Amino acid sequence: MATDVKILAIDEQDIILSSIRKALTSCGDVMYSITTVPTAMEGLRSIRNSSFDLVLVDAALPGMNTSETLRRIRTTSPSTALILMSGYISGTSIPGEISGYVDAILSKPFTTDEITSLVSRILVERRGKER
Amino acid sequence: MMGLPGKLKYVSISTRISILLGVIILVTMGIFSAISLIRQEKDAVDTLNRSTLLLGQTTEKILRLSMVKNKRDDISTAIRDIVGSEGIRSVRILNHEGIIKFSSRPSEIDRHISRENHLCANCHTHADSGAVHTVSSFYSYHLDQRTGIIYSSLPIYNSPSCYNGDCHTSASTGTASGNRGSTLREVGHSVHDSSETILGFIEIEVTAKHIMTSLARSRSQLIVLTILIALAAMAVVYFSIRYLVGSPVNRLVDGTLRVARGDFSGEIVSGKAELGVLADSFNRMQKQLLFTQSQLIESERLASLGKIADEIANEISNPLTGIIIYAEGLLSHAEPEAPVRADYETILQEGLKIREGIRNILSMAKKEKLNFAPVDIEALTDHAVLIVRKLSNFRNIRIVKAIPADFPKARADAGLLEQVVLNLLLVFSDSMQAGGILIISAAHSETDRTIEIRFTDRQGTIPESIVQALSERAMPPEATGSARTTISLSVCKDIMALHNGQIYFNSEPGNGASITIALPS
Repeated sequence: MATDVKILAIDEQDIILSSIRKALTSCGDVMYSITTVPTAMEGLRSIRNSSFDLVLVDAALPGMNTSETLRRIRTTSPSTALILMSGYISGTSIPGEISGYVDAILSKPFTTDEITSLVSRILVERRGKER
Repeated sequence: MMGLPGKLKYVSISTRISILLGVIILVTMGIFSAISLIRQEKDAVDTLNRSTLLLGQTTEKILRLSMVKNKRDDISTAIRDIVGSEGIRSVRILNHEGIIKFSSRPSEIDRHISRENHLCANCHTHADSGAVHTVSSFYSYHLDQRTGIIYSSLPIYNSPSCYNGDCHTSASTGTASGNRGSTLREVGHSVHDSSETILGFIEIEVTAKHIMTSLARSRSQLIVLTILIALAAMAVVYFSIRYLVGSPVNRLVDGTLRVARGDFSGEIVSGKAELGVLADSFNRMQKQLLFTQSQLIESERLASLGKIADEIANEISNPLTGIIIYAEGLLSHAEPEAPVRADYETILQEGLKIREGIRNILSMAKKEKLNFAPVDIEALTDHAVLIVRKLSNFRNIRIVKAIPADFPKARADAGLLEQVVLNLLLVFSDSMQAGGILIISAAHSETDRTIEIRFTDRQGTIPESIVQALSERAMPPEATGSARTTISLSVCKDIMALHNGQIYFNSEPGNGASITIALPS
């Protein structure tokens, strides 16, 4: 049964945004509604204007510190799942300074399987917590 | 801490110790010599006095015998003979009134000696003048330090032979006035009364000049000897300290100055004693400093490399994500038999290889950023297999997992450990190009508290490139294996070292080849 899941992707690189769209829309079981924005400010504006189930945010966004971006997203929408994408972190462990804000780390470059399985797992975990 | 006063701090340690030793020797030997000389002088004077006393007693006996026999000339002759002896200046005999009756100097005879004379005054004033030494009730003397002459006095006590004897009757015409209780005797009777105690004195002058001269010579010799000994000891100590302490210390000082300038070349050569141990410690410290400096340079180089690697990885990761995901998309839509499918697979495979290369570089550059947490080994290997199974290399390789369901979690950095698993899978994919079964098994030892993950190719043997890479610490430039295998295994070794773990290979004919990673549980 198809479920409409709203996802916001924030990344300065068009190739990342289009790759996320391509990877998630190719997933047959779940219907993802994907919104993409290039900056942190636009992302925050989108979150204020609309609710999202999950936000994928790049760790190196121009104009705003990563921790500050994550804090603001979490403050604006506490129930939204948050995944940080980074080309600097090779593992999946969440660094201590942002562990209170994000649900998972997605290391770049990622594969279709990696992003789809991670998004699915985090959404399941989020729903489990909400219940 | 007390510092050295003034300019003394600039005086070398050998000079300081030498001066101190010289002063100690001078003071010690000076005191010893002074005590010794005083003792020698006293002993010499005592010996001279004993000789003088014996001489006086002999003279008294001659006097008594001559007087009883009334042979005055014998006394004069004896006195002259005595004075001829070495060191005896004069001998004279006085009666109790102080009149010289016999003398080796004839001009003195009948001269009166007053009671203020230093020898007479000793008894007649009943006070010790301090200058006259009373050795016994019958002998006293006075030493004139300036002339070195001893004036000794021996009393002539009254005796029955004196007051009963019918002696010197022919000479008893002299006066006896002043003689306590005495009366003038008639001719043919003794001149001495039995109530008289002392009838006169024998005075002898003896020179002690030769003794004083000898003592002065001894004193001079001792002073010179003391100074010479002190100077010799100072010289010996000065040069010994300079040679045994000063030179090694100077070499150490030169070494520290050299190291302070940043020059770590050369070692300090020294013996095996305390300063040798110090020199060895310094040499070890220098080597440690050199090693630390090279490590620091290496750390800085790695830090710079890490920053560059971070930037490059981030720059590459964005387009590479696109390449991988678009290739996967194309591959998923391509017909199974379409000719382009192989092209898409190649793009994807090379893209994933670049990704692992980037992650290897990041792992090497970020060794210090460990994030230890409990890691599910089965989930970690599942994820790694999921990534590599799309590679064409693994098309003919069947991966079989043999990990127990309740396998305990390992305490590790999940990202780095997955990197190790991915690298080992890729290493085996290179060596198993003909295909086969790759077994991933895990074992846990409660006793050793270790977890082992083993990758086994049952049909294969360990290639030389893997043997070299796992045997050598550094990557050998002449390694015959592929550079990627060497780099991958080098990263694996470093990551396992960071986990206090090990990586080793095992290859036995008939049992296949295996690589095992072991880490604390």
